Amino acid sequence: MVVVTVQPDGVTVDLREGETLLAGLQRLGYLYRWGCRRGGCGVCKVDVVAGAVGYSGVISDTVLSLEEREGGTALSCQAVPAGELTVALRNDRLTAAAPWLLKQAISITTQRSDIRQGEITK
Amino acid sequence: MSVMRLGYVHLRVTDLDSAKGHYGTTLGMTETASEQGKVFYKGWDEYDHHSVVLEEGGVGLVKLGYKCETSEDIARYESRAQRFGASVARMSKGDNMAVGDGIRITLPSEHTVELYSDMEHLGTEPGVLNPESWPRFGRGVSVPRIDHALLTCEDPAMVERFFMECLDFRPSERVVTDPADPELIGTWLFCTNTPHDIAFIKGGNGKFHHFAYFLEDTSAILRAGDIFAMDDVPVDVGPTRHGITRGHTIYFFDPAGNRNEVFANGYITYPDFPTITWTADQLSKGIFYIGRELNERFTSVVT
Repeated sequence: MVVVTVQPDGVTVDLREGETLLAGLQRLGYLYRWGCRRGGCGVCKVDVVAGAVGYSGVISDTVLSLEEREGGTALSCQAVPAGELTVALRNDRLTAAAPWLLKQAISITTQRSDIRQGEITK
Repeated sequence: MSVMRLGYVHLRVTDLDSAKGHYGTTLGMTETASEQGKVFYKGWDEYDHHSVVLEEGGVGLVKLGYKCETSEDIARYESRAQRFGASVARMSKGDNMAVGDGIRITLPSEHTVELYSDMEHLGTEPGVLNPESWPRFGRGVSVPRIDHALLTCEDPAMVERFFMECLDFRPSERVVTDPADPELIGTWLFCTNTPHDIAFIKGGNGKFHHFAYFLEDTSAILRAGDIFAMDDVPVDVGPTRHGITRGHTIYFFDPAGNRNEVFANGYITYPDFPTITWTADQLSKGIFYIGRELNERFTSVVT
C-alpha cells in the first residue's frame, strides 16, 4: 500500500502498488475532473506537493513537457506514486461517486474526518 | 464529380503496440502494411489499401486524406484552394505508402488534408462475386469502414467557406450563437450522401476531436459497447443519439487518448438538402439528443 494525500481537502487514501492515481481514486469511489484516461489530453493534471511519481508507459511531451514534469506536474491517469505522495487537484475537489463505496474505503483507511460530509452522509 | 469520401485518417500514438491492440484486436481492423514506426489498417468493407495510419510518437492528427474520382478533379481543387489563399503542395506517388499523386492542403484551420485519386486496391474478404454479407471470423467490433472526422478551429465560418467554395462540400447542419446575429460555432459538411464527411467546431486550430467508424445499426453500437467493457476501453459518452445527424453513437478513447466514435444510422443527404440550424442554447440536445447534457470532457478533450 502507498499512502497518498489529495489536496485541497487533505483526503488520504491507500493505493495499491503500481496503481495509477486515477485508478486508485476511482476504485475507492472518488470522482474528480479527468479526460481521456489514456494520457493524451492533460485534463487530469495535478500538482505534486510532496513525493514523486513514475510512469510505466510513454507519455507524449506534447501533453506533459519536461519542464512541467520537473516543475511538479503529474498526469494523474498515468502517474504511479513512487512512495508516500501528496498531490493537489487544480481548481477541483474530490467528490464521492457513491456514498457506500466511500464507506467501504473508510473501513480500509481511517483518516476521513476531512471529507466533505455532505457527500458521504447523503 | 466532387470529393468521393474520407479515405484515410493518419494519427499519432504514443505507443504503437498498445495502439495495435486497440485498432487491430478491439476494433478488428486488418493490418495491411507496416514500416518503421508506422502501421496501416483497413476495415473489412474497405477495398483500398488502408484507411487508418498510426505513427508512433506523440498524440493527435497528422492528416486526413480525401479520395477524389479523377486527377482532373484534384487539379480543379488545387487551383481553387490556391485562389482561396490556402497553402497547397503537390505530393507524388510513394510519398504515402500505396497512395498515388495528389495535393496536400494546409487548411485555414492549420489541419493538413490530402487529396488523391489512386490508392493500391486490396479488395475485401467477402469479395465481389456472390459475396457473403460479412467476414465470418471478424475480430472485436469488426468495423467495416471509417465514416467522418470532427476537428476544431478558431474560425468555423472561414473553414466552412473553404470546403464549400473550394471542395464542393455542402453544410448539412450548423450551430450558431443567435439566429438574429449568427456567429457560426459548428458546421457539419458532406460530399457524399451521409450527414457529414467532415465537421468543425470552434476551438483551437490544428486540433483533433475524433474520427468515426460506420457501424451497420444500433445493435452493432451496443455490441461495440460490450466489447469496450470487455477490453477496458475508456468510454467518453454513449450509447446515445445525436440531435445533429440523428446518428447513434458511442465515443471512446484509443490508448494514446485520441477520441474515436462508432456511428450508425443518421439520414441521407442530397445536393439539395436543406441545411439544419441549431442555436447554441440547444447545443446540448443537438450533440446528445437523449441525455441533453454536454460534459466537460466531450468539449475540452482534444488531441
